[in-house]
Amino acid sequence: MPSYELALVLRQMPRPELISAIRRTAECILDSGGIIRKLENLGTRALPHKVSEHGVVHREGTHFNIAFDTSPTKIADLKEEFGRDIDIIRRHVFKIEEPEKFKCTLHQEMLPPAYRKDVQEMIEIAKRKQKPKYNYNSGLDYYPFQK
Amino acid sequence: MLKLTKSLGQSFTITNLAGLRALNRSYAATNVKEGAQLNPDEPIDMPNPFEKDPEQCILCKHDITPYYKNVKLLSQFQSPYTGRIYGRHITGLCKQKQEDVEQAIKRAQRCLLMPGYHKDLEFLHDPKLFDPERPSRPHKY
Repeated sequence: MPSYELALVLRQMPRPELISAIRRTAECILDSGGIIRKLENLGTRALPHKVSEHGVVHREGTHFNIAFDTSPTKIADLKEEFGRDIDIIRRHVFKIEEPEKFKCTLHQEMLPPAYRKDVQEMIEIAKRKQKPKYNYNSGLDYYPFQK
Repeated sequence: MLKLTKSLGQSFTITNLAGLRALNRSYAATNVKEGAQLNPDEPIDMPNPFEKDPEQCILCKHDITPYYKNVKLLSQFQSPYTGRIYGRHITGLCKQKQEDVEQAIKRAQRCLLMPGYHKDLEFLHDPKLFDPERPSRPHKY
């Protein structure tokens, strides 16, 4: 079961209602056969812009994150279920992935264009795309026949 | 560095560096070890000791992975006037990190953690990582 992260934005409401809304979503995950790994409260604050959701304009919200494991086939059902909940303004499910190790390529990118690998590749492609020019092989510097 | 230059000066004579290098190059390239044993005055085949370390971008240097919950960091890559994400010619990041930053900012904006048309007022006076007035490369604006 892959790990996912559910980023929730809940509407402004008193604490007991907030708790029940979070419990509802958590139980929804558990009912679908998932495991909850972590609950994270990111606080209540003013939203960066007003958001119209379920016919109401929201200006404040509570950010809440739930890290969970579940089958990938259940994700669509969960999203649909959360979409119907009027206490939830935004819901996004992200896959938790380990960042891939790589080496910084800045020193290569700072080279002059002619030395950069991607530019060299582009020049190669441009060369390949050029139409072949017909060589008359007549030794004359003009075309002897009517065109 | 000083020590290195001193030791180099001891091992190479001036005539060797100037004249004999071109003559002996092909010989030195074919049998390096044997040549070194035969004539100690010959240049040794070694990597450039004066080569600088490859330049790294600021996120790679400190080993930071941009993540959408780290709004304070991400807002530093955003214009305070329009909220647009600064390009690579301004931020000075490597290709991969710039992509990661852009993805993280977009994700944060969708989750309502970050504004899209301005910079969060809380982070307006944060220290500047780069100067948008002086991009490393010319650009179309």
